[in-house]
Amino acid sequence: MASISIRNLVKRYGNFTVIPDLNLEIADHEFVVFVGPSGCGKSTLLRIIAGLEPITSGDLYIGDKRVNGVQAAQRDIAMVFQDYALYPHMRVYDNMSFALELRGTPKAEIDARVKRAAALLHIEPYLDRKPKELSGGQRQRVAMGRAIVRNPKAFLFDEPLSNLDAKLRGQVRAEIKALSQELKTTMVFVTHDQIEAMTMADRIVVLQSGTIQQYDTPETVYERPANQFVAGFIGSPAMNFFPVEWRQEHAILSQGGTVVPLGDETANRLRRAGTGVLGIRPEHFAVAAETTDGIAVSVKLVEPLGSDTLIHFDFAGAPAIARVDPSLRPKVGDRLSLRPQPGKTHLFDAANGQVLR
Amino acid sequence: MDASTTDRWIRRLNLLQLVLAGIIIMTPTVWMVLSSLKPSFEVTAYPPTLVFTPTLSNYVELTKTTPFLSYALNSLIVTIGSTALGLLFGIPAAFAVSWTRISWPAILTLAARMAPGTLFLLPWYVMFRQVGMIGSYTALILSHAVITLPIVIWILLPSFDAIPRSVFEAAQVDGCSVTRILWRIALPLVASGIAVSAILAFVFSWNYFLFALVLSNGDTKTLIAAAFNFIGEGSTQWGALMAAATLIALPPLVLAALVQRWLVSGLTLGAVKG
Repeated sequence: MASISIRNLVKRYGNFTVIPDLNLEIADHEFVVFVGPSGCGKSTLLRIIAGLEPITSGDLYIGDKRVNGVQAAQRDIAMVFQDYALYPHMRVYDNMSFALELRGTPKAEIDARVKRAAALLHIEPYLDRKPKELSGGQRQRVAMGRAIVRNPKAFLFDEPLSNLDAKLRGQVRAEIKALSQELKTTMVFVTHDQIEAMTMADRIVVLQSGTIQQYDTPETVYERPANQFVAGFIGSPAMNFFPVEWRQEHAILSQGGTVVPLGDETANRLRRAGTGVLGIRPEHFAVAAETTDGIAVSVKLVEPLGSDTLIHFDFAGAPAIARVDPSLRPKVGDRLSLRPQPGKTHLFDAANGQVLR
Repeated sequence: MDASTTDRWIRRLNLLQLVLAGIIIMTPTVWMVLSSLKPSFEVTAYPPTLVFTPTLSNYVELTKTTPFLSYALNSLIVTIGSTALGLLFGIPAAFAVSWTRISWPAILTLAARMAPGTLFLLPWYVMFRQVGMIGSYTALILSHAVITLPIVIWILLPSFDAIPRSVFEAAQVDGCSVTRILWRIALPLVASGIAVSAILAFVFSWNYFLFALVLSNGDTKTLIAAAFNFIGEGSTQWGALMAAATLIALPPLVLAALVQRWLVSGLTLGAVKG
């Protein structure tokens, strides 16, 4: 069990800088998820923590020990890889016991720990099988089992669910979350899937171009995104953005000149800034009873999801999405009046994308 | 022609190709074996006699006139020694090239293998004479390692490359040093590649003639160099030469036949990641 501290970390490959200058503190027992688009540096950061990539400059501490030059083998951390990376020539039991054997753990203790982990992950019937005789989900469990038996200082997960089908992904996601609560060990999980990030993390690190855009709880990242990138990345479907201006005591869409009804708080911020980018999540549109009460839109596409319905429409010349109650049963071509829910709108600086407060 | 007729013709042509290739490859071997069983005067007869009374006289003469068994033992010592040396250095070398992705050492060894043997002969002769090693097994084993080392490296390199990098990384995180990764993880996964490289190194070293001709002496002469003695300036003992050639060819042929299936799968190892 240990905290992880990254200070002024720089990572370069030749002239290419992947991480320009990164600071991050992960508390002991915390479940932190690195999320971001492809190439944002999240896997590189995880591999640096694991000791699989050298640091260009800066410091990395696991617990209170500086581990910059320490080999992966000596860091006492466990890692679950995207392709599971099981040893193909070893039985499941040997895959799980290998690390303990290397550390000279007594045979009886190895046996007890492997069996305990196997029971926890429901893989007892497969202990004598080779990895090629297992399904993707079973291999995934073995990979987790291999990490668990070691009782390491921290667990690192590198997109471990991306090779599983949607149903299994949901199931294993819940299992990992339950495991983290049971094991009470520091966990760092890399994913590009924001649902995984939102559902599992104590805190989320949103990365872009090797820079932390926001580091906070899932609720805060969702409700109070630090900038337009985070706002657009977290949430599915993504947040709708519209350039707006403050004119004649009204929020006006820059394109088309439509007046947007905003709550007082957002309206005040826009008044101060003059211009900005308005962000409204699809689920934060309310269907207004009267067309005069909101913004009239024409439905272009309807996606019924069962629990709710997505409607696509053009708003101020840009495509937008609203999530509405399925009982509404809108049809293509219908006219609807939508109104942003007060207090649920976001305003960003048009120049740098930072949230306007 | 409909599709099934075309397929039938393609199959027949494929078969014809295989038969032709088989004839071309096997004719010299069959000729050699038959000649070794002919009386001396019939070996060079033209047109060649296909019907004859087989005799072992060439084999009897071979064992009577030459210390054939000690030559065979010399060949075994040099071949096994150089194959072992090739494996000892070739396995870690191939792993290191695969691990570091620095390929120039492998290319250098391949260039050494591609160079004609005569290129090495003079410097080696001078060097081994200087240290008094001409005629020693050590000189022969070391020189034959030039044959075996590149074979081992180049057969094992794609096998190591085919192992997903994450498997090695998982072993690192589990607590393995690089040496232990080679020993515990990589070697078991390339076992068939090692077997194939060992067999091919054995065959190539066993059949290599030039170094033994110059660097051996009467006590360390290998079979293939000794067989050369049957070719004289005035007359050549073709029958005995064919008998010697047949016996020389026997170990590699038996070895290849025994591990045929393994050999084919091992040669294509690493071609497809799975």
